[in-house]
Amino acid sequence: MMFFLEKNDLPELLRRASAYFEIIAPVLVNGEPQLVSWRGEDLALGAPNPLLPPTRLFLPPRETLFTYLQESGLYTFQVPQVKERLIVGVRPCDLRALSLLDRIMLSEPADELYSKRRRSTAIVALSCTEPSESCFCAQMGSGPEAHEGFDLLLTDLGERYLLETGSPDGIMLARLSEELLERGDDAEKRALMRESRERILSARPWLSQERMRSKLREIDWRSMSRECISCGGCSFVCPTCHCFTIADLGLPDGERIRCADSCILSGFHRMASGANPKARPEERLLSWYMEKLEYMLSRAGMPGCVGCGRCERVCFSGLHKTDLFR
Amino acid sequence: MVLDAIETTCVYCGCGCGLYLHVEDSKIIAVTPSMKPPARGRLCAKGWLLHGFANHPDRLREPLMRRGDRYVQTSWSEVLSFIAKSFADIKRDSGPDALAVLTSAKATNEENYLLMKLCRAALGTNNIDNVARLCHAPTLFALGSSLGSGSMTNPIESLLHSDLIMIIGSNTTEQHPVVSFYVMEARRNGAKIIVMDPRRTQIAEIADLHLQMRPGTDIALLNAILNVVIREGMIDEEFIRSRTDGFDEVHDRVAEYTPEAAERICGVPAELIHDAAVMYGSAGDAAIVYAMGITQHAHGTDNVQAIVNLALATGNLGRDGSGIYPLRGHQNVQGACDMGALPDYYTGYQKVSEFREKFEDSWNVELPASQGRTAIEIMSSAGSEIRGMYISGENPALSYPDSSRIRSALESLDLLVVADIFPTETTRMADVVLPIASFAEKYGTVTSTERKVQLIRKAIDPPGNALPEWVVAAKLLEIFGISAGYDSSAAVMREIAALTPSYGGISHERLERGGIHWPCPTQEHPGTPVLYRDGFPRGRALFRHVDQHECGDGRFTLIIGRSQYHFHTGSMTRRVCILEREVPEAFVDVNPKDAASLGIRNGTGVILESESGTIRARARLSDSVSSGTLFMPFHFRESPANMLTGWQLDPHSKIPSLKITSVSIRREGA
Ligand code: SF4
Ligand code: SF4
Ligand code: SF4
Repeated sequence: MMFFLEKNDLPELLRRASAYFEIIAPVLVNGEPQLVSWRGEDLALGAPNPLLPPTRLFLPPRETLFTYLQESGLYTFQVPQVKERLIVGVRPCDLRALSLLDRIMLSEPADELYSKRRRSTAIVALSCTEPSESCFCAQMGSGPEAHEGFDLLLTDLGERYLLETGSPDGIMLARLSEELLERGDDAEKRALMRESRERILSARPWLSQERMRSKLREIDWRSMSRECISCGGCSFVCPTCHCFTIADLGLPDGERIRCADSCILSGFHRMASGANPKARPEERLLSWYMEKLEYMLSRAGMPGCVGCGRCERVCFSGLHKTDLFR
Repeated sequence: MVLDAIETTCVYCGCGCGLYLHVEDSKIIAVTPSMKPPARGRLCAKGWLLHGFANHPDRLREPLMRRGDRYVQTSWSEVLSFIAKSFADIKRDSGPDALAVLTSAKATNEENYLLMKLCRAALGTNNIDNVARLCHAPTLFALGSSLGSGSMTNPIESLLHSDLIMIIGSNTTEQHPVVSFYVMEARRNGAKIIVMDPRRTQIAEIADLHLQMRPGTDIALLNAILNVVIREGMIDEEFIRSRTDGFDEVHDRVAEYTPEAAERICGVPAELIHDAAVMYGSAGDAAIVYAMGITQHAHGTDNVQAIVNLALATGNLGRDGSGIYPLRGHQNVQGACDMGALPDYYTGYQKVSEFREKFEDSWNVELPASQGRTAIEIMSSAGSEIRGMYISGENPALSYPDSSRIRSALESLDLLVVADIFPTETTRMADVVLPIASFAEKYGTVTSTERKVQLIRKAIDPPGNALPEWVVAAKLLEIFGISAGYDSSAAVMREIAALTPSYGGISHERLERGGIHWPCPTQEHPGTPVLYRDGFPRGRALFRHVDQHECGDGRFTLIIGRSQYHFHTGSMTRRVCILEREVPEAFVDVNPKDAASLGIRNGTGVILESESGTIRARARLSDSVSSGTLFMPFHFRESPANMLTGWQLDPHSKIPSLKITSVSIRREGA
């Protein structure tokens, strides 16, 4: 179903939803867009995509899997509560990353916390009418339009939004604000999205998945990687990265935590003997891209890069500039 | 149950990266960089993984008092009156100079200020110092005496305007990663990079020239570069004439430091020295970046002076892209010095000898005039003249030279109070342990290496009964009858601003809108990113000729440094599982040729021995060090590198020679 929603009425729609959900939305914190619990602040839907990808709300960089308490030799365990959430402003690239993560984290045996969070979270997506310079979702087939995976979808038409429902939950949510909505159509949206897509494609007309894959082995990773400081940043912001490590902190009581990890870090590959098959940054960078562009594709049926451009925004070197594949 | 993002400043190195802590239910679940300078979206691994330690169960939660060899939990009121009474007793019996305070470069400006006030106004002694004594005391002395201000002359961003960046004694990519980002950006925009370092570090690999000198021969090398610059007529005569004094003597005396003479001392080919000098001398705006490879020597002040001479002779000061960049190691080591946690200065480098009355009037107490002791002097008189000590957030049992001597010094005190966030080697020796709020659990300001005062903001609650240290210091001041009714750390900053010209215009309200570079004398003043644009505060800058000193004659010279994945004595980073996984133990880099002759292979256990002590570590074969040179990080209590270092002090700044030590090395069991 398609509706028009006056821009001023979006906060009211969210307020009504907040009776059922904790609302997470991008707002400006000291001038920079951040995903936070929404308390009625101005929404920063027009700002660039926040650095912390929304996928990290399902698989946080640091989370407690359970806490343990020891009493006279017996352990009791406590698992964290998962709350009902509505995330507003998820872009098509991140939406695609989420469905890729679903294929990985929910395949048997499903990851319990991830699946609980996934089940209790609703998503209001946002079509990308204003792509950033670093975006190349169109080339990766993940944007700037969202086709699935949302409960509601907003498209900024200037004066008002086009609101589309994508699931039974989405219809319920729309019903809560029925009198704010007006029946609509997507003629205007289609024109805007065509424009946006062209803008993204013409910024890098030479870029395509095939090109990236074929270039992978030709790139001189050795000299390129001289400026990589192995900070891990590219993994920590990538919406499809999902590797983690687990540690038990505290004795006799404490917690088992799960932490985002990265194959860009050398210790990730070190074996028990001390030998390291990927001791050099160039080896790790090549394998990072192999994972994104080839292995994920063959394992999960989608490429592991959705073209969100975050890795370029945090990198010390020129290693994640798409120019690499030119 | 809310998700929040709080902007704050990284707790580790002096780069002062802005970042957001993403918080859910009083736990930090993620970190992302701020897009504002200096971070501009970049962080090193330590920064990205800052969510790793604040919520760690090892955190100190309750005040602890020693009873025999056990610690018992106690209340704040009991522990604070105990401290006050014990310090007062010592003061009565042995005089105020039997007490000493070491403040923390991890604590905020407000905390350093109140501890400084506590030390001087309540305890009545100038025996106060901070970890700067072990890293940049020579910078303070040399830059202060020759230029007028002992700190970085330009902001980090200024490097983007440099035509040439000379890096000496700084492993920039590992130790000041975000500074290295600017160096690499400058290079991508066409700047030339020269690195002078006994090790082939990552930044040396990227550089246009790498001069791999013998450890400790920096002065010969820098003098030789000046020698060539003079001979080739590349000096800035106008600048020298109008803005400096003392050039003639330097001019005459560096004449003997020909590249050929330097080659014999440094082991760097004369031709390469010549090329570097020409490259430096012909650059429009040239910057010199240095760190502890320059300062941590028994002649650290002279090392820094050699850098100053070079910058002055070429007129590379007072403009964007030029300047001298001493890189500070800790988040707030600049601020600790600015706040007067130094034996001879009050805040803003106001000399005790000149400004005592001003502070007496403001604080309404009589202040000590006696000469205060520096950190190493405090340690060397611990147990004799010094009987009581307050150590804030530092771990001298691991970070100071000659650890075994430090440990016995600390053991012999009548009262040792240690405030920290985690148990450390030093809290283990304390009579009283105070649990302190971490950077994520309090408000305050910190001053980064580029003199930029920035806010840290509270993101989560402190664990248990831990308190921000400014609260602890304020309560102690009150017990001593010196109250100023501080209700927030912003109120403390108001007092600092009123007493300190260079911080005069700084307030928490203003900092909400972004950091400010001091000097910032008034509310309207925008701050001063670049110093010396229109002159030097002392009138004319001073040249001072310095000579190369004798170098160690041992078969092996051990360089002690750091790993990018750990910070200081590891009390925070070694509790972050991924950082600990990256570098889980100490290693000694050994040149493969040396290794072959010693029968050492990659991973072999080796024994290092010096005049001060003996330790064990694992060898790592690496041609990043030349034959005769070894390298080792000092973060690891299992292989405490500072057991090996000695107490030779630089005569000017009293910094100990932590950087290099003559050692012997052998295979374990051999
Ligand atoms: S690889 Fe880079 S551009 Fe692609 S999804 Fe990950 S962060 Fe985004
Ligand atoms: S973000 Fe850049 S510098 Fe950091 S690990 Fe990735 S490639 Fe290396
Ligand atoms: S470079 Fe320094 S300030 Fe920046 S993230 Fe790393 S440790 Fe923190």
